[in-house]
Amino acid sequence: MPEIRVTPLGAGQDVGRSCILVSIAGKNIMLDCGMHMGFNDDRRFPDFSYITQNGRLTDFLDCVIISHFHLDHCGALPYLSEMVGYDGPIYMTHPTQAICPILLEDYRKLAVDRKGEANFFTSQMVKDCMKKVVAVHLHQTVQVDDELEIKAYYAGHVLGAAMFQIRVGSESVVYTGDYNMTPDRHLGSALACPPLSRAAWIDKCRPNLLITESTYATTIRDSKRCRERDFLKKVHEAVERGGKVLIPVFALGRAQELCILLETFWERMDLKAPIYFSTGLTEKANHYYKLFITWTNQKIRKTFVQRNMFEFKHIKAFDRAFADNPGPMVVFATPGMLHAGQSLQIFRKWAGNEKNMVIMPGYCVQGTVGHKILSGQRKLEMEGRQLEVKMQVEYMSFSAHADAKGIMQLARQAEPDNVLLVHGEAKKMEFLKQKMEQELRVSCFMPANGETVTLPTSPSIPVGISLGLLKREMAQGLLPDAKRPRLLHGTLVMKDSTFRLVSSEQALKELGLAEHQLRFTCRVHLHDARKEQETVMRVYSHLKSILKDRCVQHLPDGSVTVESVLVQTTTPSEDPSTKVLLVSWTYQDEELGSYLTSLLKKGLPQAPS
Amino acid sequence: MLVVRFLPPSRAPSSTLPQPRAAQERGGTGGGASSAEGTKREPHLAMDRECAQLLPALCTLLADPGQPLVDDTCLEKLLDWFRTVTETEPSLLVLKENPCLTELLLHTLKLQDTSARVLSFSLRLAGIFAAQEDCFQYLQQGQLLLGLFGVAGAQGRPAWTIPGVRSGWVQGMCSLAQHPSALQLLDDCGAVDTIFSLQGDPSLFVASAAGQLLVHVLVLAVQGTAAGQPLDWPPCARRIVSHLENALCSPAAPQVTRALNVLTSLFGRCPGPWAQVLWAQLRAPVARLLEREPVPAAHSLVDLLLGVARSPVFRSSDHALLAQALSQLGPTHAGPLALGILKLHSSPQALRTQALGVLLQPLAYVLKAAVQPPGAPGLLDAVAGSPGVVDALLGSKSSCAGLLCQSLAHLEELQPPAGVAWVGTDLPGAGAPSPSAPAEPTDALTWPQAPLLRAVVTMLRFCNGSAAPASSAGGRLCGTLAGCARVQRAALGFLGALSQGAGPQELVTQVFAILLEYLESPESSPTVLRKTFQSALQWLLHCPDAPSSCALGPQTQLFLTELLPGLRKRLCSPCWEVRDSALEFLTQLTRHWGGQAGFRQALLASEVPELAEQLLQDPESYVRASAVAAVGQLSIRGLHASPEAQQERLPAELLRILSADSEGFPRRAAVRVLTEWLRDGHAGLAEDAERLVARVLGAAGRDLDWEVRAQAVELALVFLAQTLGPPGARRPSAEAAPGPPRPPPGPEALRPLCRAQVFEFVFRALFDCDRPVARKSCDLLLVLGARLGPGSPGEPVGGGPSPASVEAALQGWRAGGQGQPLGALGPEAVVAVLRALDLDGLQATLAESSDHVEKSPQSLLQDMLATGGVLGDNQADCY
Repeated sequence: MPEIRVTPLGAGQDVGRSCILVSIAGKNIMLDCGMHMGFNDDRRFPDFSYITQNGRLTDFLDCVIISHFHLDHCGALPYLSEMVGYDGPIYMTHPTQAICPILLEDYRKLAVDRKGEANFFTSQMVKDCMKKVVAVHLHQTVQVDDELEIKAYYAGHVLGAAMFQIRVGSESVVYTGDYNMTPDRHLGSALACPPLSRAAWIDKCRPNLLITESTYATTIRDSKRCRERDFLKKVHEAVERGGKVLIPVFALGRAQELCILLETFWERMDLKAPIYFSTGLTEKANHYYKLFITWTNQKIRKTFVQRNMFEFKHIKAFDRAFADNPGPMVVFATPGMLHAGQSLQIFRKWAGNEKNMVIMPGYCVQGTVGHKILSGQRKLEMEGRQLEVKMQVEYMSFSAHADAKGIMQLARQAEPDNVLLVHGEAKKMEFLKQKMEQELRVSCFMPANGETVTLPTSPSIPVGISLGLLKREMAQGLLPDAKRPRLLHGTLVMKDSTFRLVSSEQALKELGLAEHQLRFTCRVHLHDARKEQETVMRVYSHLKSILKDRCVQHLPDGSVTVESVLVQTTTPSEDPSTKVLLVSWTYQDEELGSYLTSLLKKGLPQAPS
Repeated sequence: MLVVRFLPPSRAPSSTLPQPRAAQERGGTGGGASSAEGTKREPHLAMDRECAQLLPALCTLLADPGQPLVDDTCLEKLLDWFRTVTETEPSLLVLKENPCLTELLLHTLKLQDTSARVLSFSLRLAGIFAAQEDCFQYLQQGQLLLGLFGVAGAQGRPAWTIPGVRSGWVQGMCSLAQHPSALQLLDDCGAVDTIFSLQGDPSLFVASAAGQLLVHVLVLAVQGTAAGQPLDWPPCARRIVSHLENALCSPAAPQVTRALNVLTSLFGRCPGPWAQVLWAQLRAPVARLLEREPVPAAHSLVDLLLGVARSPVFRSSDHALLAQALSQLGPTHAGPLALGILKLHSSPQALRTQALGVLLQPLAYVLKAAVQPPGAPGLLDAVAGSPGVVDALLGSKSSCAGLLCQSLAHLEELQPPAGVAWVGTDLPGAGAPSPSAPAEPTDALTWPQAPLLRAVVTMLRFCNGSAAPASSAGGRLCGTLAGCARVQRAALGFLGALSQGAGPQELVTQVFAILLEYLESPESSPTVLRKTFQSALQWLLHCPDAPSSCALGPQTQLFLTELLPGLRKRLCSPCWEVRDSALEFLTQLTRHWGGQAGFRQALLASEVPELAEQLLQDPESYVRASAVAAVGQLSIRGLHASPEAQQERLPAELLRILSADSEGFPRRAAVRVLTEWLRDGHAGLAEDAERLVARVLGAAGRDLDWEVRAQAVELALVFLAQTLGPPGARRPSAEAAPGPPRPPPGPEALRPLCRAQVFEFVFRALFDCDRPVARKSCDLLLVLGARLGPGSPGEPVGGGPSPASVEAALQGWRAGGQGQPLGALGPEAVVAVLRALDLDGLQATLAESSDHVEKSPQSLLQDMLATGGVLGDNQADCY
């Protein structure tokens, strides 16, 4: 029995890191290869030894697919390919291929910055890993090998994020990665998507299984506009009172969304306070968004010729000396969790002034200063000194995930047979699982890490139908209707690995065979002392009276027929008062033959005397 | 004849996974390992007063089901810390001094609706403390452990359906099962039956952990008891052995697999005499597995057989079992077994020959497919391909590629390093034996270098369509392999490894020819090309006609010349991966053979140096960085198209890259090359090194990439060493004159360094926000301080800033301020500041991790407490 097996090594009932193993028709595919940001030791990487025990991963895996560049989806990739030794293909979109090494490099530098993390992948390893990447375009069907093919769909979320359809023969799985179903300010649909669509989109591809993220499984998120307004209001207020605003961000991603937001607001309100962006990322972002302009939204693409939205008028490159400048300012600085580097340095300078503000636009793991201040701690020890945090601390989530409504919408769009939830919390998944099962009438699974879900699949075999057979059906006046399945009788011919349904006559002709007819027979004994001829007439009349819609005939040879059913009457020599009715029929009239037999067994009606 | 003795592996190959962390076990919810390997045993990890004060509140928080929960990683880290604490302090004392911990466990026991996370945490915490026998007894006084681990405890709760809880139970049990008292608990709470059932758990993590626990319990049960007959097993161990024996006879493959995995671990851990008894008892059921068709759990069976073969229980009579396994198992499983056998120290010649035959069969088949008899001698001429091998090769593309890649990888592992144990040759066409080779051991195997080379070249030819098959089966194989990048990569990898052995001239020519074909073919994918470059480099380095690795023989010289057009073409490839690999290859070529006249001539005649320079403008940053490295290496070797012009232009170009490139990689590469040039006395820098150093440090000081700044400190160090001369050296002018060693340099010797603004850069770097830069800078100043020696600072001369103003600026920088530039520092001010700075103290501070405070247990406890109060919407947020 063919089956699809799914085992999450990460993202099974958690949001720590994604790494999901799928086996489909004998092919093994790893979906994402993420790193857990909460650990500093080897627990940050998925434990691949569960997959192969002591075998070689390259022999086991057919390919690795990376949905997008966030480290919880791609952070373990150099570990997998350069330290564990996976040598096979790694698929991702072009923007992900371009941006992934930057984030890996950023993280590597932070990790090396800390004592005790020397045993980490190197720059060279990141590069060597990226050389194994095969970049794909949206909607391009890529043949991994003779049997396995993959296709990427637009997922929103961040630049380059994609959902992937994985197909082997008639079996398929769709993996969403992270996605959002609401339009974005800077990202948009790819050119090949339906017009004006600015959110994740997928064909009605009816996969056997849809593996979807479920971060906001129970949430209907408030309007994005409200969150944006709130953000702008807070920044504006802080700047108005002469304060400095620090926004710790990761190198690329939501930072660009917030930059466009602030740039537009500054322009509209004619604000003068400077906005800075650290680490030269404005140029980098510019470069990548120019390079992948087809991924940005329509407005950005349209105005690109007159004005590049990523060439900011108000946002300038940050120099370390600027942090000491008097007066208000807004600074976007890396890294996003305030755990090292420039953002932490600026935080230390500004934390003591209550006029200042820090806005954390994303999640912070335990062990980072970001996590501490978000949990309300106001006295921190830094470099051997106590630091009192007087500045205002705000958390505003700008992570772009689909909410419950969006997840349901995507599932309706794809029409899967089964759904499997990953990248979410167990309790929230439970709610969504029930919703899916009730509203979409599909089986829904939510395995924990290390648990395997096995789905039996029915093989679907394509069969060609001969024109002759179709014409014959048409001749009966039944027009084809795509929405209604129809039963068609014919002969299945299997030749050269192809299947064709043809009329039996054609099959005989093609195969050079003579026709043999198989008939079912049954004997019915009647007590009737009359002459044989009279009994036949009684049988004829009886059948004629009951089967008014059928063609009942009395043939010259003394037999009676109803369609292909033949009734012959004989008188046994040893008992002339008994008549034997020999009923025979072909398999097509099985039902009718059985019915007539049971009817005749009940006897003939009494003739009027 | 080339003969090699297979040596045992010194370490696991990189392509093979390390021992599974599964063995160390992890949380069922994908949390962390129970081992605290990532945690350093540092004094600040002890249970201090502050931690002890925070613990009660945390326990209260954990015990309160109404409180929002901290995440799994925090609980994992907390357990790591408790493990560290109990390793350094008596557990009982810790528990008595912190009664809140016992209260938490009691509370978990009482409260039926404890969350799964806290229940799992409590089980593991109890296990950590109960690992010490006195603490175990203390906890057992109130039947606490029985309550937690017994049927009425965690197992009876609804939360038992959650894998994290089952995992917690297994890990807790594993931690506490350290002493004989634990065996009684295991018995009382029916743990062995629970473990048996957990072996089949739907969670891989739990099932694997249960298997390891079973091993652990059995080892504990037999510890300290004398081994006897199979019937003498201690009761607990007897149950486990009997369970394993039954499982081995089971018709269900998963049960057999589990039993085999447990046995494999057991033979690595069970005390010797008991291991003997165990093997004597279970050898027969294991052997019977080989009689089944198909052999169940073949992968695990191979692991067990090799585990046994490496252990002292293995007897010479067991060789027959290995031989039987080799012939019964399919090629996919026989391969790893054959590899393992060949790595064993002492196995009979016949068995090793059989094992080598298994590995060679797929390649022998490939070779035969292309050779019309009578051709050159093949591999295993006498052996017909086994049906399994033929089926795999002629079946689907995947099975064919899978088997070939596996065989190539195994053979690559066996490939002896150059010069090791080569003891003669009887293979036709093979090179002469090494005169220094040791005597051939009687049981040495022949390493079929020449036929292997032939087979790999044939395989590569099938893949690129340049070989003609000699049979219909060969035709099918040819069709399957055509364009198969996976096989191409594996074959090129093995071909490179084969370069370490000798080969007949005609075969080396074929190797060079196929490498050139791949280099020039438009069909070669970027990953295949990269392997081609690597393989070509290995052949160039080990080519038999080369007098040394840096000299070129005629054949190598020809190859090197012929590959330059291919290299030139690849430097223009539209794929960045290819351009980058080509540049990396060029850098290596230049490094090794840049001084060879023949190579120089050929390279200068090609357009390669010009193209490499053009790639300094490549749109891809990786390529620009590789181009910087390549051009730097070419320049050191004087390999420019127009040397005079380049000598001037290149340093300026590198400075431009350093100041203007938007990406870190090229900027880093630029500083690295300039450092190398400075160290090697590159002609382009000789005239005005001071000015160049000043410009580099000026640009690097403003760089936002800390690795650029750190590399610039390295450059400063090289400049410093060159300015001051090596420690204890005499002045160049006094070289001929005998006399005492030179005294430490005076402040005046620092003047060139001051002119190059080294100190402005280094002092600022001392307080860099990125710790590696500060550390390097501190190290440099310590080196300088040591060179200058003790002494009183001289009077400030000239109009530079005074030591006091420099110190004030340093204080400002230390506080995180940027301040104004120092201005022209004089040597005296530098010396004064240097002596005023507590560099040793600073070095000690910088040696600590930048997040050591955040990583401390106090910080963890504070975070958990703080999070408990406010955790809300952002709990499950992520990117």
